[in-house]
Amino acid sequence: MLNKRKSIRNLALAVLLTSASALAQTTASGVINATLVNKNGISLQFDTDASGVTLGASGTAAASVNFGVISAFGPLAGGVTRPVVTAANFTVRTIFDVQVIQGGLTSTSYTLTANLAAAAPTGFAYKVDTVTLTTAAQTIQTTGTYNTDVAHNLDLVVSTAAPGAGGPATGTPITATINFTATAN
Amino acid sequence: MKKLAIVTVFAALMMISSAAFAQTANGTLTVTATVTGSIQLVFNSDASGVALASGAGTNTATLAFGPVSAFGAVAAGIVRSTTATTFTVSSAVDVLVSKTNSASANYTLKAQLGAADAVNNWTVGGVAVTNAAQSTVTATGTYAANSNFPVAITVPFTTASGTVINNTINYTATAN
Repeated sequence: MLNKRKSIRNLALAVLLTSASALAQTTASGVINATLVNKNGISLQFDTDASGVTLGASGTAAASVNFGVISAFGPLAGGVTRPVVTAANFTVRTIFDVQVIQGGLTSTSYTLTANLAAAAPTGFAYKVDTVTLTTAAQTIQTTGTYNTDVAHNLDLVVSTAAPGAGGPATGTPITATINFTATAN
Repeated sequence: MKKLAIVTVFAALMMISSAAFAQTANGTLTVTATVTGSIQLVFNSDASGVALASGAGTNTATLAFGPVSAFGAVAAGIVRSTTATTFTVSSAVDVLVSKTNSASANYTLKAQLGAADAVNNWTVGGVAVTNAAQSTVTATGTYAANSNFPVAITVPFTTASGTVINNTINYTATAN
């Protein structure tokens, strides 16, 4: 009998507690203190120029450009021109865009430098705009404009000499890597 | 002295800090090209022949003999010979073939008339040329040098005065 009475009391208590708890949940609040540190920086990407060869991986910082088959007198791929032919060499050209994006900087322009990752293959010279590239970084532009595509000429100056006589190897793709660095002014 | 040292250290720290915060971005562009050998043919006026009327220095030129006759005066640069029934007018024409990125030692030059000519006979470099097939003008052409291959037309006496003789000669140089 005593146990039965205890059970009834406990049950009543539990019901009361439950209902009190339900009634108390009308509002809830919390505060989160969020902190954001805006880090400044710049990024560089290569973009295909409408007048040039379509880049591989356009829109990234590691792009590729293939001139295709080139010669002093034969046909050239779309986007490739041949502005100069002399007895000693010929130049083939394409145009590519560099876009440097900055955020959080007070810098209003950037300096662009470029260098060959390795010595130029035999019979080849590489130029960006008017600058002949070497393995040492050279300045291409000192007042680059941020956040817009800036067109640059990429020239391959190819010796007309025969293979083995100072000229380039023929019939096989020849590849070189150009490293670019943009530095905020 | 101590103050100077502190200032110096501070300045150095400022410079290091400034250099450390120089913002740079890098990218790599991989460039590929495949070189192939090529040759080019152009026509040039020869000093001893008729000056090309147009296209000197290109591969599409015009040689205009002007009025010619069996016995009358001929223009400068024209060489004439006659037989009992025909006369031949000839002019020196230079062909310049250039090669690049090739170990080829010489070239073969062939020529062919663009249209049949049943009346007149044509020669290039002394080799008869028709429109039926290509004729080999030389099998050992020298690169990078103006080579004179005279163009000649043999005209029958029976040709009416005022007749315009016109044709195209297609040249092909092939690296040996």
